[in-house]
Amino acid sequence: MLHRRIYQFFIIYFLGVGLLLALKYGLSLSDYVIPSPGEIWRTGRTYAGPYLLAVLNTLAVAVLGHIVSICLATMVAILGRLTAWVGSFIRTAAFNIQAYPIVAVAPIIFILLGDGLASRLLIAAMICYFPLLLSFIGVFSEPVREIEHFFESTGRMTWRLQVKIRAFENIQKLTTVIVGSATMAMVGTIVAEFIAATAGIGYSIRIALYQSDLAKILVALFLIGIGTSLYLVSLEWIGNALQARLKRT
Amino acid sequence: MAGSVGTDWGTSMKRAWILFPILIFLFACGQKENLEEVNYRLKWLYNVSTVGDLYAEAQGYFARHGLRVNVKPGGPERDALKELELGHAQFGVASADQVLRAAAKGAPIVVLAQLFQVNPLNWIYRPDQTLFATPEDLKGKRIGVTFGGNDEAILRALLARYGITEDQVSLFSVRYDYTPFYEGKVDFWPLYLNAQAVIIGEKLEKAGEKYAFMSPDALGVRFVANSVVTTREMLEKRPETVKRFLTALLQGWQDALDPKNEDQAVKVLLAADRETPEAVVRRQLPVTRQLMTTSPASEFGKIDTAAWQQTEEIMRTQKLIPGPVAVETLLAPGNTE
Repeated sequence: MLHRRIYQFFIIYFLGVGLLLALKYGLSLSDYVIPSPGEIWRTGRTYAGPYLLAVLNTLAVAVLGHIVSICLATMVAILGRLTAWVGSFIRTAAFNIQAYPIVAVAPIIFILLGDGLASRLLIAAMICYFPLLLSFIGVFSEPVREIEHFFESTGRMTWRLQVKIRAFENIQKLTTVIVGSATMAMVGTIVAEFIAATAGIGYSIRIALYQSDLAKILVALFLIGIGTSLYLVSLEWIGNALQARLKRT
Repeated sequence: MAGSVGTDWGTSMKRAWILFPILIFLFACGQKENLEEVNYRLKWLYNVSTVGDLYAEAQGYFARHGLRVNVKPGGPERDALKELELGHAQFGVASADQVLRAAAKGAPIVVLAQLFQVNPLNWIYRPDQTLFATPEDLKGKRIGVTFGGNDEAILRALLARYGITEDQVSLFSVRYDYTPFYEGKVDFWPLYLNAQAVIIGEKLEKAGEKYAFMSPDALGVRFVANSVVTTREMLEKRPETVKRFLTALLQGWQDALDPKNEDQAVKVLLAADRETPEAVVRRQLPVTRQLMTTSPASEFGKIDTAAWQQTEEIMRTQKLIPGPVAVETLLAPGNTE
């Protein structure tokens, strides 16, 4: 699974770089507009170390933000399944919050929380929370009638059991949405760093943009791609292991 | 018969009334088509630092020189130099550090005019809380800097010039939000003297606080700011267009900054920049004038070769460019001093 994701990423990345280089040589553009392969290589050798640390920093915040938003979405969705009104209210609130562009909300967050870890975490969680919440609300408010009916008629149904039944029956769907939102957690963290943080790969990209240094940005994108692929593969592996275990039990 | 003649006459008149404006319109279109169209990408969004560019366009200076110029705003993700090379623009505004970085990587660009004779980048501080009499006083202070921005290069050059090492000051990463300065967490905060300084100063005045500015230029660091640029190909293949553009542009700037034309300049700027209040623009204009026309005798837009050489030296020392770029070869002949 890992090697497949990595080589798929390599294909996409090198196709993109190849296209840029074709444009560069086709239009005779200088290294300022599109760097030469030699410059990309030299930049890669110089900045791979510090950028790798920056990507790991970003990834750590993204994973934490992702976990926070999964917990939060699960809690809200469990509450939201109580009545149709609460569910619809939470959905409306989630839509409204998501409608605000993060670049407009971020400065307020940074004023309140400063430019440290808390702000990055919150923005990452905010960006990946929405798709999680919508799917979780859908899953937890949809009864699995054929199973739930048995427990209800025998009077053994509890809210915990109801949640377990619905989660078990939709585990494939939940895994897919968690894996899908992982990339959004990464994107959210990078956006937060780009806007105001002083650490992480988003901050490094911002500095590279100030310096109009596309070679640095290409190196950063390469490492972000590798980091994100590793995270997605890990999530898929956890999801598969969980499904296998549930099926066994 | 007479009735028929009268009807024909009336019909002809009606037709003439309809045709007349159409002919006028077609004539105007024909006139427009005679103008040579070029794109001019600014460095930043429309603000007081672009008043001359807008004035030249709005007051018909370009049209009188046979040009239709699309003055396009810049922004944080826009790079006029890249647009020039890609052919999306024929003229642009870029700061000296951008020009030198691009030239170091082989971008075929030429500097036509230097807009700011004094770099507007300053650091604001509170004189009653932060003692600053000489650069030595920077020691132990917390100084705001945009890492990767040209203010970082300028500050490092300033510190190096006065023998202050980095461990003797504390550098604070800044963005667009001034809260850390308002809260007193940072002693010196970078801003543009003709733009944000007026707005921030006004806020501090309202809060009853005193403020002052540290000017790197006054302390001997001459780092060139915005300049008008084009490609070498444009200069060689369309020298007449370049000449007409530059003549119209510099005339536009000169007139926009002339106190006699202040009302008109303010009107032109406010039509493009609706966010800035008129009172602020009226305070920004005289500051811009001082930064762009340091001496009444000097010609507007003159390229200060010595300042460009110093800028190159600063960037080389800080390894922001890999080697010398022979800065003199980038400056258009005939407009240097």
